[in-house]
Amino acid sequence: MESFLNALVSGLISGSLYAAMALGLTIIYGISRIFNFGHGVIALIGAYIAWIFVQNSKIADTSLLLGILVAIVFLFLLGFLLYRYTMNPLMKKPNWEISTVLFMLGLGILLENVILQIFGPRVKSIPVFKEGNIRIGMVQINWHEIIIIFIVILAIFLLNLFFKHTRSGQAMRAVAQSIPGAKVVGIDIEKIFGYTFGLAFVVTGISGILLGTKYYMNPHIGWEWMVKGFVIVCFGGLGSTNGAIYAALILGVVEALATLFLSAMWVWPIWFAIFMIVLLIRPQGILGGRV
Amino acid sequence: MLKVDSINGYYADLHVIKNLSLRIDQGEVVALFGPNGHGKSTLLKILCGLQHPKSGTILFNGENITAYPSHRIVELGIAYIPEARDLFGDMTVMENLNLGAYNKRARHSIPQNLEFVFEIFPRLFERKNQLCSTLSGGESRMVAVARGLMSEPSLLMVDEPSIGLSPSLRSSVFEALAKINREKGITLLIVEQEIRDALSMANRIYMIKKGEILFEKPSAEVDINEIEKAYF
Repeated sequence: MESFLNALVSGLISGSLYAAMALGLTIIYGISRIFNFGHGVIALIGAYIAWIFVQNSKIADTSLLLGILVAIVFLFLLGFLLYRYTMNPLMKKPNWEISTVLFMLGLGILLENVILQIFGPRVKSIPVFKEGNIRIGMVQINWHEIIIIFIVILAIFLLNLFFKHTRSGQAMRAVAQSIPGAKVVGIDIEKIFGYTFGLAFVVTGISGILLGTKYYMNPHIGWEWMVKGFVIVCFGGLGSTNGAIYAALILGVVEALATLFLSAMWVWPIWFAIFMIVLLIRPQGILGGRV
Repeated sequence: MLKVDSINGYYADLHVIKNLSLRIDQGEVVALFGPNGHGKSTLLKILCGLQHPKSGTILFNGENITAYPSHRIVELGIAYIPEARDLFGDMTVMENLNLGAYNKRARHSIPQNLEFVFEIFPRLFERKNQLCSTLSGGESRMVAVARGLMSEPSLLMVDEPSIGLSPSLRSSVFEALAKINREKGITLLIVEQEIRDALSMANRIYMIKKGEILFEKPSAEVDINEIEKAYF
């Protein structure tokens, strides 16, 4: 019972990390219909920028906060400019659905190798936010994981506020629901797409930083993160943020229980079996829809 | 107010607007008639910047807007109500109306414009918190017109306001349009198949056929037979 409860909690913790990971992917798809195949590497860029600031510290301090801020600014600009100078011209051509995917895939491989050149192949990690752990009944949970869950919940809350109550957020939802409608009311949709990429890259970078504190990172792990994000987003329903959150929590718990009862080796086969069964029964995912 | 000078426009590869010129004066109601597929909707899309003409010029209050994107044209005060409505289905009526006032100019007068919109479409007030995907055809049409009004236009272009509506709804939509023109002084350009309804409120009409203006007349001088004849 105790190990079951602990597995459940650790599943929810990794699930919330996966949710953060999937959000950036689903935001871009939901609004622009582009599937970002460079997603994992964007998360890694966030993690490596943060690492630059904390490489000499054993524990997290204000330098991590500074690193996160720099990563946010850098990734927003990267997303905005990348849309403006690459996605935007590609989207005006026929077959943009496939050319944008291939472009982002190529960019991912390029950036992966840039990271390899700059930071080398060795495994790195970002220090945890707070050492130590607490016990609640039979469940043991460490402070770091509590902080991760708090950050993820806060991020989801802030994103919801943004989409509901700000003009740019409403414009993004409008563009997601009807591009002709958005143009008719006077929304500059290219600008909104640019903001969308900036926002999604920031969210993705933050998820990469969180993953870098809980696990580890090397220049190649972005692809593994992306595949997980891909499964979650398809499982939850392409373009649905709530769907991605539910899917991430379900798959996180599945992962933890599979590890407990079978072994870690079974996690990927079980994930993919569930994923394919869901696709066959409900191709639109559990909550197929829009942002 | 609006001066269109010999524009040529395409729908895919089809040359649907041929050397077309027209003008609209401040405060007028102009009706645009013509058979389906003869370029009426393409013309409206060109005027609001959703498409661009291959040649020719469009002046709005003296400003050359020929190459402007739609968001700049909305900012200048031209609103377009598409036949397809293009509402934001997963948002409430209120959210749709607020997005109608997206441009900088209209943002400051949201309360007054909402009041006017709810006065001409009281039904929308009752439904303001309902998702647009759950509205009936007539209500969606009202939201589309209301959303266009929220942008505080000086020229409102409406593509087939009455299509798919019952006769009673149809007349209430036309009454609303007349009121918009009368009380707010908003200039109207209406594309319509219900010739009699549109004729009764228009000051002037253009008959368009095969992408060209067949004739232009004050509506008082129009013989309905000559319009019907032009359709065939």
